Amino acid sequence: MTAPKVIDIESIYKTYKNEGLETEVLKGISISVDEGDYISIIGPSGAGKSTLMTILGCLGQATSGTYRLDGEEVGQLNDRQLSRIRNEKIGFVFQAFHLLPGVSAFDNVMMPLVYCNKTPKGADERVERALDRVGLGHRMGHTPGQLSGGEQQRVTIARSLINDPKIILADEPTGNLDSKNGAEIMTTFDQLNSEGRTIIVITHDTVVAEHARRILTLRDGQIVSDRVNETFQKS
Amino acid sequence: MRLFRNLEQALRGLRLNKANTFLMTLGIMIGIASLTVIVSIGEGTKSKVLNRITNMGFGPESFSVMSGAGRLFFGRSRNTTSMTLQDADDIRAMPNVAIVVPRQRKRMRIINKKEFTTTRVYGVSPEWELARGWGVVDGVFLGDMEMDRKRKVIVLGATPAHKLFGEKDPIGKKIRVGQVFFEVIGLLEKKGLTESGYDPDDRALIPLTTSMSRLFRQTHLHSIKVVTTHPEWVKETMAGVTQILRQNHGLSALADDDFRYVTPEGIMQWVTESEQALNRMLFLISTVSLLVGGIVIMNILLVSIQERIHEIGVRRCFGARRSDITQQFLFESIFVSLLGGAMGAILGWTLSTALKHFDLLPTKITWDPFILAFVFSMIVGLVFGTHPARKAAWLNPDETLR
Repeated sequence: MTAPKVIDIESIYKTYKNEGLETEVLKGISISVDEGDYISIIGPSGAGKSTLMTILGCLGQATSGTYRLDGEEVGQLNDRQLSRIRNEKIGFVFQAFHLLPGVSAFDNVMMPLVYCNKTPKGADERVERALDRVGLGHRMGHTPGQLSGGEQQRVTIARSLINDPKIILADEPTGNLDSKNGAEIMTTFDQLNSEGRTIIVITHDTVVAEHARRILTLRDGQIVSDRVNETFQKS
Repeated sequence: MRLFRNLEQALRGLRLNKANTFLMTLGIMIGIASLTVIVSIGEGTKSKVLNRITNMGFGPESFSVMSGAGRLFFGRSRNTTSMTLQDADDIRAMPNVAIVVPRQRKRMRIINKKEFTTTRVYGVSPEWELARGWGVVDGVFLGDMEMDRKRKVIVLGATPAHKLFGEKDPIGKKIRVGQVFFEVIGLLEKKGLTESGYDPDDRALIPLTTSMSRLFRQTHLHSIKVVTTHPEWVKETMAGVTQILRQNHGLSALADDDFRYVTPEGIMQWVTESEQALNRMLFLISTVSLLVGGIVIMNILLVSIQERIHEIGVRRCFGARRSDITQQFLFESIFVSLLGGAMGAILGWTLSTALKHFDLLPTKITWDPFILAFVFSMIVGLVFGTHPARKAAWLNPDETLR
């Protein structure tokens, strides 16, 4: 592989302590992801998908193991530095959208820019471009309540793109959508990947997983299979 | 700047959660409003009393001795009849006493044809003019002849004169006081309303002898005003007066005085005391109400954080630091508190003005309560916002998105 590694995880363990009871959720996971890769992580519930997502998204620290994101060792960073990494390098897409209620699509997409160290020049144009990119250029002033589920999820995709992140981390992005809207969202991800964006989709839906180039199966906190998807077609 | 952007997010948060915002302002609003009203009543009372002192024409060399036990203007009994002209004569005989003015006093209705008004009618000796340093602008003051002959003449203050005669000249006219006709011989110089609404011009003066035998038909006095030759004699003279009065009134060694003194010093002391008591009350009330207001803010904010847990999670995901979240919620609580403070100050100002307007209580609006309101609500917002804001910031980001 010649492409540089965006994500390099080595033997990650994660243990939760709950009322004195220790639960080992991740048991030595190693993944490396190339720039421009398209990965889906599948597995039954309780396999540790969400925990892995938390660690990949720099929202929590692993109990042991190393995590290098875009060449930066994440394990030892403090809240400030982690916040910067989340802001600059990761774009999140959630199952439940998590848009700010009552706030226009435009301002929702603008939100990550609030937490940049410096507000970039031409922020407004960037937001407009991002919304155009997901086909919502005409709905910028609408609040989440005035948008359909599919449209809301497209707003979150625009929001995840606004800071030009290294990876897009999508947690069950189609979970709250009907199959038609879900398919549209996945098509959007396919296009983004074909433009060179690194995408990680976490799902338990095999149809969704089949969109990716590489499929990791997680079971009981371990990766049980890591296969290249033969049906993957570069769109 | 990051700080301003967090402030902007906070304001947006408040706008989107209007019901919560309103509820949060309520407590502070009521607290600050009551604070403002209480301060203005306190100031009003103080200035009323101070005005009273200056309008009583007290110099440092004079004092009054009033009939009846009690303190200052607050007699314990209304019908003490022990003070007589004999007392006044005995006091006049003391060394270092310059002027002695015995007085009787009653509120009475005075009538000119169809016009009438109620005013304070004083029976005084002619020395009153000198003792008060207050003369007539028209006509003449009461003289010794009026006194000796118990003549039915009256000197009007500006207020009753205006009420009975309007712009017309009252001198030489006959008016009725109660059932007795009097001739107006003089018009007192106008002093004007004091700041607190006390009207020194609302009075009429008649010879003491006339009031005793023809109008009030009583021999006991209401009070005696004593002017000494020099302020340094006041204390000694008061001691002498006490002796004379106790002796004349036949009080045993164990009995309490049946009279009381009004001195500028006594009034000042009373003002200071009541002010201190008022300030203590004020402190207590405002502390309690602001504490309650603060707790309201804290609780609503804590609930609001639970409602907005996803918002916090998403903000954290997209790069908000703990400090950003803390700042946002702290700004919300400070702003809400300031808003409540401002609304409370306006409400308090309105109430104070209304109290004054409808003559219910003397109030005086000063800047202090508004500055206090600003400072206090700032502090309340900061203190009671800290816990919820930190709680929001320390939420585990991955748990907030479940």
